[in-house]
Amino acid sequence: MNRLPAIAYLGMTHLGLCSAVAAASKGFTTVGFDTDPGLVARLEKGELPVVEPGLDALFQEHRSRLSFAADSAPLGACDVLYVAPDVPTDDAGQSDYTTLDRLLTLAVGSARPGATIVVLSQVAPGYTRARQLPERPLYYQVETLVFGRAVERATSPERFMVGSSDPSKPLPPVLRTYLEAFGCPILPMRLESAELAKISINCCLVASITVANTLAELCESIGADWSEIAPALKLDKRIGQFAYLSPGLGIAGGNLERDLATVIRMSEGHGTEAGLVRAFARNSAHRRNWALRTLHTALLADKPDARLGVLGLTYKEDTHSVKNSPALALIRQLAPWPVQVYDPVVQASAARHPAVTGAHSALEAARDVDALVVMTPWAEFRSLDPAALAGAMRGRLVLDPFRVLDGRAALAARLDYRTLGVS
Amino acid sequence: MLTHTQSDGSLTPDRVVVVGAGGFVGSAIVNGLGTAGIPTVAVARAQVDLLAADASEKLSALLVPGDVVVFVSAVAPAKTSAQLLTNLTMARAGAVAFAGVPPSHLLYISSDAVYVDDANPVTEASPVAPSTIHGMMHAARELIFRTEARAPFAVLRPTLIYGAADPHGGYGPNRFRRQAASGDPITIFGEGEERRDHVAVEDVARLVVRMIRHGSVGVLNAVTGVSTSFHDIAHMVAANFTPAAVVQPVSRPGPRPHLLHRFFDITSCYQAFPDFHFERLPDGLARVHREVAAANGKGTVRVGAS
Repeated sequence: MNRLPAIAYLGMTHLGLCSAVAAASKGFTTVGFDTDPGLVARLEKGELPVVEPGLDALFQEHRSRLSFAADSAPLGACDVLYVAPDVPTDDAGQSDYTTLDRLLTLAVGSARPGATIVVLSQVAPGYTRARQLPERPLYYQVETLVFGRAVERATSPERFMVGSSDPSKPLPPVLRTYLEAFGCPILPMRLESAELAKISINCCLVASITVANTLAELCESIGADWSEIAPALKLDKRIGQFAYLSPGLGIAGGNLERDLATVIRMSEGHGTEAGLVRAFARNSAHRRNWALRTLHTALLADKPDARLGVLGLTYKEDTHSVKNSPALALIRQLAPWPVQVYDPVVQASAARHPAVTGAHSALEAARDVDALVVMTPWAEFRSLDPAALAGAMRGRLVLDPFRVLDGRAALAARLDYRTLGVS
Repeated sequence: MLTHTQSDGSLTPDRVVVVGAGGFVGSAIVNGLGTAGIPTVAVARAQVDLLAADASEKLSALLVPGDVVVFVSAVAPAKTSAQLLTNLTMARAGAVAFAGVPPSHLLYISSDAVYVDDANPVTEASPVAPSTIHGMMHAARELIFRTEARAPFAVLRPTLIYGAADPHGGYGPNRFRRQAASGDPITIFGEGEERRDHVAVEDVARLVVRMIRHGSVGVLNAVTGVSTSFHDIAHMVAANFTPAAVVQPVSRPGPRPHLLHRFFDITSCYQAFPDFHFERLPDGLARVHREVAAANGKGTVRVGAS
C-alpha cells in the first residue's frame, strides 16, 4: 500500500474524539463516526463536546483530514477501524458494554474485507477474545487517556500495547503503518495481556496514591509534613519524578475504582489472592470522607447553627464533569446546615441539598460562613487572599485538602487552616 | 452502613417493645423512648424469663403484629461456654417469637466485640471475626435474628458503655469512680496506655430512638470516634472529686492485652444522622459523677477526704 491508511474512530466521546484528532494530526485521513446525528452535526461545525487543553486548536489545524458521519457508509473505505466509545460504569464499578457492543457489531458489518478492527475502549480481560470472529480477527489496543491531558497522551504516547489472538504473528501492515507514525515503541501481546495491562497500569497508580494517602494521614497525627517527603521520594529513581504521590480524597474518579472492582471480581472467579486491592479500595473509602469528618470534629459537634461554604463542585479542575465529585458527595451529607457554594463552571443547582445557595465568587461564598472547604483545586482559587477570606468569614475553619491556598498566609490570617498530610 | 426507610426520621410507631428492659442498657433505652414520646412496652425478666421453656410463647403473647422490637437482653459479659449457650438460648426464644409475630422493625443491641482485633480503625464494614466468647455470642445472635426473625433488621454495636446506673465493675470509668468514691486510689494497670472508645449509655439510647424514627436497617456502631487511654480516663474521673483522687499504677494481673488500642472511624454515623453528636467523654464522666452524687444525696467530696 502506497497511500497512508484511512482511519476510523467509532464513538465520538472523549476517547474517540481525541484519538481521531490525534490521527488526523499525524497525516491520516480520519473518519469520526457516531450514531448520534446531532453530535455529528455539531462536530462538523467544529463544536466539540469535550474540553481538553489544545484540542480545539489541533482540531482546526487538521480539520481538512477529518470528517464525521452518522451513517456507516464511510467506514467501508477505512483501513483501520477503532471502536472507542467511553464505557460507563455503575456504582459497583461494573462496566456497561451496551454501546461498545453495538458499535463493534456495526464496525464488523461495515468494514471492507481486509480492514483491521481494533477495540480501544477499556474492557475487562476476556472481552475481545469472546467476540473474535473466524473470518475477521479483532485486536485490542490499550488506551491511556488522562482527563485534562488527553491531547498530549493521544499525540505523544509513551508506547502502544496491542493485543492479538496470536502475538507471534506480525500486526496487519495498515495497523503497523498507522502506529509507527507516532514514533513510540509498539508492544504486541496476547489479548488478555493487553486488556490486563491497562488495569495493571492503573493498579500501580492506585498503589502510589494509596501509599501517599496512608502516610499523609499518619503525618497528620505525628507532626510530619507529607509535602516535604514526597519530593524526596520522586528523586529516587526506583520511584520516579512522575509518581502519583500527592495525597487526595481517596482515588478520584471512577475509572481507577472500576479497575479495582474488576481485579477483585476476577480474583474471586479464579481463586487468586487480592487482599492488597481490597485494601486500596478500603483506604480510598476512608480518605474520601476526610472533609466530612474534619468538619464534624472541628466544628459541627459544637455549633449546630453553623453556616458552611464550599468552593468547587466539579470532580476535578478544568472540567464540567461532576460525576463522582467529592464536593457534591460532601454537600449531600451536610443537609442540616446551610451551604453557600461557588464553582467557576457549575451552578449550585448541581448540589443535592435542601438549603444550598450559589455565590458569584469565591469570596461571596465565604461570606459569614463558619467553615470554608476548598473541594476542587481550580486555578482561580490559588489567587485567593487568605486575609480576605478571614475578613469575609464568620468563623476561622478552612479545609483545603489540595493545598490550593497559601497555607502560611492562611495561618498568618489566623485561620484554622487544615490540609492533607500535615499536622 | 444504615439505610433509612424514612429519610426524614418522622416515623412514629404505635409502640416499641424493649426486650431486656430491666438491664443497664435496656432501661436507658426505655427512658430514651419515653423522652421521645414513643409508647413503650418494657419487658424484663419478671414478665418473660427468656431461659424458661415457655419463653417464646410468653413473649409472643406480649407482641402484636407491627410492633417495633428492641432486643437488648443478655447475660453480659459472656466469658464462658455456659454463658455463651445461655445467651444463645435467650436469642432463640426471641427469634421464635418474632418469627411467629413479625415485628415491623427489629433492632438488636450487639457489641463492637464482634470485630476482628486488628481492624483499626474499625468501621461497620470491618470483618466480623470475634476473638472472645462475648464477641462470638453477639455475632451468633446477630446471625440468628438476621436469619430467623421475619422483620426489617438493624444492629447497633456499642463499644464500652458507661453510665451512672452501670452495675458492672469492670476495668474502666465505673470502677474508677467507685474506687475514688470509696476513698481508695484509682488503680490502672501498667501505665494505663490502652486506648479505648467509651460511649454514654444515654447516647446509645438516643441512637436507638433515631434508628426507630428512621426505620433504619443495617449496621451502625455506637462509638464516639475518640479513643482515650485508661490513664487519661482515670485522671478525668479523679478530677471530678474534691480533692482530686489519686491515680495509682499497679502491676497488670496478666500480660498486656494483645489489643492495645482500638479506634473507630465514625463516618457512617455522620452520614446516617448528620446532626447527631456524641457527648464528649470528659463531659459525660462529669455528668455521671454529678448524677451519682445527687442520687446518693452527697456532694462530690470523696469518702475519707479531709
